[in-house]
Amino acid sequence: MDGEGEDASKVIHVKFVTKLYPPFKAPVSSVVIPSNVTRLGLSSIVNSLLTLEKPEAFDFLIDGELIRMSLEQFLLAKGISAERTLEIEYIRAVAPRKEEKPSLHDDWVSAVDGSSPRFILTGCYDGLGRIWSSPGSCTHILEGHTGAISSVAFVNSQGGESVTVATASKDRTLRLFKVDTAESGDSTTRVRAYKILRGHKASVQSVVAEKHGSMVCSSSWDCTINLWNTDESESELSVSGKKRKGNNQAEEAQLEGEAVTTFVGHTQCVSSVVWPEEDVIYSCSWDHSVRRWDVPTGKDTLNLYCGKALNTVDVGGEGSALVAGGGSDPVLRVWDPRKPGTSAPVFQFSSHSSWISACKWHESSWFHLLSASYDGKIMLWDLRTAWPLSVIDTHKDKVLCADWWKGDSVVSGGADSNLRISSGISIS
Amino acid sequence: MTKKSEGANEDQVKEPKRKVVPVKSQKEAKEVKSSEEEEDLLLDSGTDSDYDGDSLSGSLNSDDFDSEDDDEVVDSENGEEEDDEGSEQREVAEESDSSEDEVAPRNTVGDVPLEWYKDEKHIGYDITGKKITKKEKQDKLDSFLATMDDSKNWRKVYDEYNDEEVELTKEESKLIRRMLKGEAPHADFDPYAPYVDWFKWDDAIHPLSSAPEPKRRFIPSKWEVKKVVKLVRAIRKGLIKFDKPEEEPNVYLLWGDDSASDQKSKHLTYIPPPKLKLPGHEESYNPSLEYIPSEEEKASYELMYEEDRPNFIPKRFTSLRSIPAYENALKESFDRCLDLYLCPRVRKKRINIDPESLKPKLPSRKDLRPYPNSCYLEYKGHTGPVTSISTELSGQWIASGSTDGSVRIWEVETGRCLKVWQFDEAVKCVAWNPLPDFPILAVAMGVDLFFLNTELGTDEEQQRIEELLRLDNLPELDEAAAAIAKWLPDEKYRGIKIRHFKNLSYIDWHPRGDYLSAVMPGGETRGVVIHQLLAHSTKRLPIKMRGLPVCTLFHPNHRGIFIIATKKYVRVYNLHKNGEPIKKLETGLREISSMAIHPGGDNLVVGSKEGKMCWFDMDLSSKPYKILKNHPKDITNVGFHRSYPLFASCSEDSTAYVFHGKVYSDLNENPLIVPLEILRGHSSKGGVLDCKFHPRQPWLFTAGGDSVIKLYCH
Repeated sequence: MDGEGEDASKVIHVKFVTKLYPPFKAPVSSVVIPSNVTRLGLSSIVNSLLTLEKPEAFDFLIDGELIRMSLEQFLLAKGISAERTLEIEYIRAVAPRKEEKPSLHDDWVSAVDGSSPRFILTGCYDGLGRIWSSPGSCTHILEGHTGAISSVAFVNSQGGESVTVATASKDRTLRLFKVDTAESGDSTTRVRAYKILRGHKASVQSVVAEKHGSMVCSSSWDCTINLWNTDESESELSVSGKKRKGNNQAEEAQLEGEAVTTFVGHTQCVSSVVWPEEDVIYSCSWDHSVRRWDVPTGKDTLNLYCGKALNTVDVGGEGSALVAGGGSDPVLRVWDPRKPGTSAPVFQFSSHSSWISACKWHESSWFHLLSASYDGKIMLWDLRTAWPLSVIDTHKDKVLCADWWKGDSVVSGGADSNLRISSGISIS
Repeated sequence: MTKKSEGANEDQVKEPKRKVVPVKSQKEAKEVKSSEEEEDLLLDSGTDSDYDGDSLSGSLNSDDFDSEDDDEVVDSENGEEEDDEGSEQREVAEESDSSEDEVAPRNTVGDVPLEWYKDEKHIGYDITGKKITKKEKQDKLDSFLATMDDSKNWRKVYDEYNDEEVELTKEESKLIRRMLKGEAPHADFDPYAPYVDWFKWDDAIHPLSSAPEPKRRFIPSKWEVKKVVKLVRAIRKGLIKFDKPEEEPNVYLLWGDDSASDQKSKHLTYIPPPKLKLPGHEESYNPSLEYIPSEEEKASYELMYEEDRPNFIPKRFTSLRSIPAYENALKESFDRCLDLYLCPRVRKKRINIDPESLKPKLPSRKDLRPYPNSCYLEYKGHTGPVTSISTELSGQWIASGSTDGSVRIWEVETGRCLKVWQFDEAVKCVAWNPLPDFPILAVAMGVDLFFLNTELGTDEEQQRIEELLRLDNLPELDEAAAAIAKWLPDEKYRGIKIRHFKNLSYIDWHPRGDYLSAVMPGGETRGVVIHQLLAHSTKRLPIKMRGLPVCTLFHPNHRGIFIIATKKYVRVYNLHKNGEPIKKLETGLREISSMAIHPGGDNLVVGSKEGKMCWFDMDLSSKPYKILKNHPKDITNVGFHRSYPLFASCSEDSTAYVFHGKVYSDLNENPLIVPLEILRGHSSKGGVLDCKFHPRQPWLFTAGGDSVIKLYCH
């Protein structure tokens, strides 16, 4: 009698459902499983149901929440009855499955951009920008800066033949480069800027390009945000004649650009900007605030007070409306600016142990974002659970920058002078 | 004069008497005349006249009594004369006043029964103590014949006490006779004498009170009636209850704490004994088996300490008969005696004070956020203890100097070392120019002071700095200054080197960024100089230095005010008025090590080598407003935040303390000082040598003897 009762309480009827495609689609039928299984146990059950030749790690969702403890505890904590048939959705686990060869730089890697699936763009403390077509193979070196590069961005990567990139540096300038992608071969090409953007009075901290590539936006230690034109317009050709920077033997003219607009409002170093839509710019600053700027008017329409100096900000998630930011403490915060009357973050992730240097939303998923920290770790987060999905611990020193690449990889650079790529992350 | 007036008064008083008594007026008038004639004898005559007056009035009023008195005096004189002669006269003498006390009887035995002397030959003793012998008894026949012969025999009475015969006089017999008749004993007494009315009725026309008796004296009181009615009503309503014998409750709390109720009331210092636990089943002589400990349990009891061992181990006996005597009886009575012997005879009053309540009321740390509390960034690269750090105004860079001879510039946000200058000597002090567009670093080491170009400014700024730091021709200094310092170009780093005559210990920029003060403790009276960078000149202070200078400060708001800390005192001078001393602060410290001024300029914090820190409110007093004793070892540096109400101290005990130090704009309110955080993290080797706040964030940089710089964030 007793034995039967115990068995009954420890058994749950579950039904595995998924949105994955056939190789990972399990037959929809109710299964009886013990209630004390964890994620690993569930994963092995699904694997046995699927009869794959190579085992696959899965993550499990009940009512839109990821399971991070034993099933029994989870049901108890959420107050879900174990008597009816549970519907468990499974997805492929978000974790890097492969670690690519590190790409060694000459100095600290301070910036990385993985928004183009063909290339990885990195900025380095030696003042050079680099374009990598694949892990370990550097195709172009962008030269010209006299100070460390602090931020890089693809301006226009859609064009087939040439790609435009922007770099920001601590020498108070931004440079725009045109890279000819048709050139192939093992040798790396050195590229000089076609346009130098001067106007900031202090180190430029961050650069970001508008969607169509016609403008770039930069933020600086002089507390301002500047917008610049990227095109080779005639009006500025005249300016270019006056000053020629760099090696004189170079034949091509270097244009000089001036800021189109300046957004003033921050009281301290503006550490990061993002330009998610055509007329909206988000910026974060060491004055403990995140601001949203309306590009046509140049006014700030939102001011989120954080309480900590912020290093990085990104916009994404549900409806591309959530703001994620991190700064001078180990907490990654996510705000929802659509919530009226409050500047309290809706999510706080605090598994890091030092400053957060970078955070990026996944471009297609509403739930996933990554964060990089000075403790040398990159963490992948899902909004549906408070624990990190996975921790990439390959860097040996501070991680200074990180980005998604091709939707399934994480590229990151740090104070160990390496660009590291962790690939095989399946985000459906 | 007073006598005279008295006399005059008496004269006035006497005059009406004269009228009343015309009989004796002649004599009176004479006396008055004499008193008027002789002024000297006024008092005497006055008193005399007074006495006379009295006696006169007396004689006037009671003539009868006077005569009686005279008779009596004569009688008593007679009595006294006769007393010695014989007892018979004495009896007569007692006629007027029959008290026996006046004439002592012959016999002195007192009031004793006379039959005591019946068989004796004497009847008693006289006043000299001699026996008074009895008279010989006469023959009855003789005595009868004698009585028959004596015609006066009927008047003789035998006095048994004195043993003699007393013969009554005629007056006495008459007196007895009158008394028997019921008349007054004295023949002279006239019971029907005319009535003399002493009250003078002639001038009183009204009676003493002519008011008729009021009616209320004859009717019962209305108020009493009301009161009685009230009482009657109260009794009827039951408001007044007459005493009834209190019924004692016949139930009482059998198991209650009887010690508390009645015992306490009897004795002030009654200490109730602890309640005994009620016996349970295990105390039974034959408890159930589950109470009986097993052998293992008993063995485990043996292994316990005696204090921890259970004092009762249940045992089982088959019958009451088999229960042995109580084995611990003797021991327990001994313990009881010990308890009594050791019991304190005095009840100690223990005061229960919550130690928390003795602490001063301070606001919670949570309310005083933000303040630095945790270290997230470290700046590593130096190979020796970092002696000094300095922050750039924007907060993007910090500079540090170390004993390994290197000066480094670090990027704050990443911890990257941007620039290194290597020197041969240990760096003593670094100071960043406070102007935002003038990124020059002043570095003190040994006897040299360097101005270094950090190359962090814009191109125009860079150009200006390069021009300034190019020392084409050596500046001419006046004689006094030339003996102290010499300006030289520094080829290695394209800066300026100023060579001093003694070792430097401290440098400080003026807030305007042009002047720089340098302190040489070995320089004694010439220990402080001021360099002017733009003019390439050096000036000696027009101040007579007392004691060895330790550090200096320029006032943040008032241009000419200069503060110098010597080993024991802090002095404030006005440089605009030729170094006129303004104030002297008495620290009471043994040796000052560092000093920092609040950005408001009125409050000063001084750190000492004994670990004490003094907060001075310079407007308030020259004594410290508060002394904070936190560090067990020397304080190496103190610092204020530029905008947040924070200050910090760092010490050789490798900790840094962060305090909340709020200065109110209201002058009546004293500064609020709250200790916030102890920042640890530096290794114990070498301690923390310098601390500086980030200029814009509530962050603290600490430079450690372990050659690491740490950044503590909020």
